[in-house]
Amino acid sequence: MIPMQGTQGRKTLVEEGTSFKGSLSSTCPVEVKGRVEGDVTAPALSVSASGSVHGKVKVGEMQSHGELAGEFDADVVQLQGTVKDRTIIRAKSLEVKLSPTEGKMQVVFGECQLEVGSETREVAASARPNEKAPKGPSVPPEGVKPSEPSKGPSVRPPTDANGA
Amino acid sequence: MPELTADLVLKKIKIGEKVERADLRGLVLTRAVLDGASFRRCDLDGANLEGARLSKALFKNASLREAFLAGADLREANLESADLEGANLLGAKLAGANLNRANLEGANLQGADLSGARLTHAQLASATLGGARLIRAELAHADLSETDLSTAKLDEADLTSTDLSGANLEEASLARAQLRDAVLRGATLLRADLSGADLRRANLSGAKLEGALFTGARVRGLVGTGAPVIGIRAEWVDDSEEASRAVRVTGGQIADLLAGLTASAPSHKRYFGQGDVLRNAHLEFNTGAAVEIESLFEHCTIALGEGTELVIGRGGVLSGCQVQGAGRITIHGKFVEREGPGIVGATQLVVSSEGSLVGAVEQAQDLTRFGFEPGCHLRVQILQAKKERSTKGGKQS
Repeated sequence: MIPMQGTQGRKTLVEEGTSFKGSLSSTCPVEVKGRVEGDVTAPALSVSASGSVHGKVKVGEMQSHGELAGEFDADVVQLQGTVKDRTIIRAKSLEVKLSPTEGKMQVVFGECQLEVGSETREVAASARPNEKAPKGPSVPPEGVKPSEPSKGPSVRPPTDANGA
Repeated sequence: MPELTADLVLKKIKIGEKVERADLRGLVLTRAVLDGASFRRCDLDGANLEGARLSKALFKNASLREAFLAGADLREANLESADLEGANLLGAKLAGANLNRANLEGANLQGADLSGARLTHAQLASATLGGARLIRAELAHADLSETDLSTAKLDEADLTSTDLSGANLEEASLARAQLRDAVLRGATLLRADLSGADLRRANLSGAKLEGALFTGARVRGLVGTGAPVIGIRAEWVDDSEEASRAVRVTGGQIADLLAGLTASAPSHKRYFGQGDVLRNAHLEFNTGAAVEIESLFEHCTIALGEGTELVIGRGGVLSGCQVQGAGRITIHGKFVEREGPGIVGATQLVVSSEGSLVGAVEQAQDLTRFGFEPGCHLRVQILQAKKERSTKGGKQS
């Protein structure tokens, strides 16, 4: 781990080939090109394509091109790379760019949980059955096959990070 | 009377002091050198800043209503959320400026240089932008209704989801511009250059297109003019879902497509309009269909054929529903499940900046391509495909 003096200020760098285990708390941005296992607290975290972070992370901004596993709390997250099973990402804002090429993935998601924005509970509440839909003309749907009332999806609700 | 005189303002700026929250109404600072000065939250209504040098100046949340800024150099200035209603910015240099959420209603921006400027969510209704340069400008979600953009250069500009209703774009250059989901209802596009522009899902109803150039434009899902289109220029247009140029339309079919009279893309379109409510229904959509929902769906199951495109519009709400199948789903509205997983097997799932998704998503066998725009709201559990999960479970035990 080398504290770097870059052109835009200090940052802590975990270089490729370096493995760090334990708690890392920093007042300057952290860049991970190697492997970090443990808790990370910093104003910003950047994980390069060769990097991986496994553990509990609390940062202001996070940008990842590498591998993430564990629990991540951040204000702003930009994701690429891989998100492993049993990972939780909580953020005020999340950006995952859609890969321009079909078949290619910007992010490979394992079984994980995303909690983004603060209004998801309000959204759930506002989508109640008695919600008034906006008025306006509509075109009758074509090719729709109405059927017997559904009993609803019988698939079990998501209860844990494994979906078990 | 302004709180500070022009001399005092210049003195303060010269010694590097900020001029913030000051009452500077009607102040005369013509041709003043004010590069990098901070006028944050100042009241500059009616001020005369003609020809002033204001590059990188800070006007965030400032009020500049009816201000005279003709010929001013505002390159890379920060005018975010500034009120410039009725301001005169004739020939102003605004390249790289931040005008996000600014109010420019009725402003005069004729001949102004706004190349690379950021104007997302800006209010430009009835503004005059004739001959302005807006190359690569970011205008997503801006209100450009009834604006005069005649002969303006908008090449490669981002006009996604903008409101251009009734705008005058005569002879404007919009080559390779992003106009996805833009509303061009009743707009004038006479002799405009739209070559290579992305017009997917744009609304052209009532627009005038005579003499416009459309070669290479992406037109999938656009709403046509509703009347026969004559005199357009186009060798081919791209009618593929992914703008991959895989589906080229040529000849007379182009005019039919732009008019909304063709049997190609629109024939596969299913639209559920605002005000409709569907409860406990089971819907199946064939391969290649395009489905748009602006209604309220409750406890419905929706089966998507391979490659089917499902768009939940801004007004659309899917509550307690399940969507299954190898389709591509885009959520601009709300999707809230009661019992999961709400989405099963989609090949692509995009939640736009205005979209909300609450529920579990079971990925496709070959994984799902995800796209999440900043501003979206998610409470999502991502699951592997069932087969994948059971294999994993077996291995673990």
